[in-house]
Amino acid sequence: MPMLDSAALVAHTGKLDLVIRHVLAGLGQGIHAGRERGAGVEFSEYRAYAPGDEWRRVDWKLAGRTDRYYVREAERDSHVAVWLVLDATASMIEPSRSIDGLTKLHYARVLLACVAALAQRQGDAFGLVVCNGERAHFTPAARGPRQLQRVLARLNATEPGGQLPGADVLRASLHFAQAPSVVCVASDFLDWPSALSESMLRLRTMRHDVRALCLHTAAEDEASFDPSFAYRDPEQANTVFRFGRDVRDAYVRTRVAHFETVLRDCRAHDVPWLAARIEQAPGEVLRAWMRRHMAGARAA
Amino acid sequence: MMNFSLWWLALPVLVLPILWHRQKREQTRAAPLASARFLPKAEPKQLRVWRWNDVVLLLLRCLLLLALIALLADPVLPWRGDSVLVLPGTPQAVVGRLQREAGFTGAQRIMLPGVDAIAWLHAHEREFKPESRLLVLGDAAMPSTPPRFRHAVQWRADTAQPAPVEHHVAVFSARADDWRRLFAAASPAWRIVVDAQPGPRTELVVWDRLEAPPGTLRAPLWWASDARVFPELTQAAQVDGLRVAARARGRVWAPAQAQDASPLHDADAARVLFAAWQRLQLGPQAYPMPVHATAADPNAPAGPASGALHAFLATLLAVLFALERMLTHARRR
Repeated sequence: MPMLDSAALVAHTGKLDLVIRHVLAGLGQGIHAGRERGAGVEFSEYRAYAPGDEWRRVDWKLAGRTDRYYVREAERDSHVAVWLVLDATASMIEPSRSIDGLTKLHYARVLLACVAALAQRQGDAFGLVVCNGERAHFTPAARGPRQLQRVLARLNATEPGGQLPGADVLRASLHFAQAPSVVCVASDFLDWPSALSESMLRLRTMRHDVRALCLHTAAEDEASFDPSFAYRDPEQANTVFRFGRDVRDAYVRTRVAHFETVLRDCRAHDVPWLAARIEQAPGEVLRAWMRRHMAGARAA
Repeated sequence: MMNFSLWWLALPVLVLPILWHRQKREQTRAAPLASARFLPKAEPKQLRVWRWNDVVLLLLRCLLLLALIALLADPVLPWRGDSVLVLPGTPQAVVGRLQREAGFTGAQRIMLPGVDAIAWLHAHEREFKPESRLLVLGDAAMPSTPPRFRHAVQWRADTAQPAPVEHHVAVFSARADDWRRLFAAASPAWRIVVDAQPGPRTELVVWDRLEAPPGTLRAPLWWASDARVFPELTQAAQVDGLRVAARARGRVWAPAQAQDASPLHDADAARVLFAAWQRLQLGPQAYPMPVHATAADPNAPAGPASGALHAFLATLLAVLFALERMLTHARRR
């Protein structure tokens, strides 16, 4: 089963770049909306080869002459910067109850890494904002394979915990008004409205391209939890909740109502929205996420 | 009501470990769930909370506290049935005979540590079952007031007269034959042997001479016919018609008045001599209690707790404590 294979791979592989290669291999070309293809039109300079560079960009004639690898850098002005926003609060530790070791955070990390790799392939600048522990950790946007390594390392090192930062912190971090940007937000959106939702809608009104990926687990969708446990909210430790057959309907009702509100707000602000289960294969979800954007872009 | 120890009021302390074990359970059993906020807020079921973990440890801790309280309260369990209390110095044959006479065959025999049977019985009376009968055998000291017990007690002593004890006397006198006659006349109440020479068994030296005795002569008691021979007697205080002085060679006494009649010629003076001897050396004579029965008196005061279970409870406490420590340690691993 390729679906299970991919999801289990997400759970058990520590190396993000391997996962990306695996996911993107099945993705094919052509779903990305970049305007520029190849490695640039106007030649600007040579630079030394760095691991991660595409082999086709190596100047082989020059390699024959000098016995060293050089890469042709093109003069390009990409107008698009891609911003990856990762919600790494305590609620993102929620595990899949069917696949061992897979959590929402694992999944979000892989998908954002894939987006980063796509952006890097396309030559766009990309940056990362990780929200956890009431703070926003900010990696400035840049281009190139080293930036990809930097972002992947940052994603790998992310430790979940705490709550979302306040509105002031987020406003200061997501402050990039000049260039048109693509903002990819991966979260569980259990807090809505929140500082994150306000920032997303604000960025959308500033005509940035904001895309939301909402992660669920199969157990949440089916409301099937072990009734022999008492439960507590990881972000509010003091209250104890109980699950049972008698409260199952109420749970489903409240949850559906919550996400209907989220979806309504997103539609009202024209924010593409994709809900995904973390048990799904990451490649399919990534394709759906990008296509949803394409559909949204065409509609706009 | 006198049996009740106030330490038993500490028994509610046993609730503490039970509560502690219950609370631990309540705190640890909550799994994180991100979407728990969509569940209706409900208190966890009390039933589950009241289910304790580590039942063995809980039991051990309760037992530990119980043993400690019991040790402090010093309970006495009535476990002795019909018993025969034998005073020291009672011959085995006499015990068997008196036991048969009183109809106590088969009863448990207890050898008392001392002659004071009443004090021992007071201290240990709570160990006897309510319906058990008691028999005290031997020469029990007679108290001034009749003893009261919660059990019926029979007292029996061997009525056969013991063989009289020999008393050795050394006489230094010109009238030695008169003295021998005097001592022979005291028989059979007194068995007196007049030694030719004083020896280690000599109890009394009769000094009926006018010169001072030699310094090497020693005996527990001296009788002096003339107080002037012993200069310390002249300074001694006069008590009950006697002058008594303690010296290195023994205690000396003389008639208070020098002109008193000699015991050799006067019966009263002889009686005074024997009475003084009895009082100074031998003390009052024991009078065995006759055959007697003390009826059970339910209002008799109970004696103090005896600590009979003390060693057992202390051992139990130590064992329980060690077990509890080991189990706690194993559980932490």
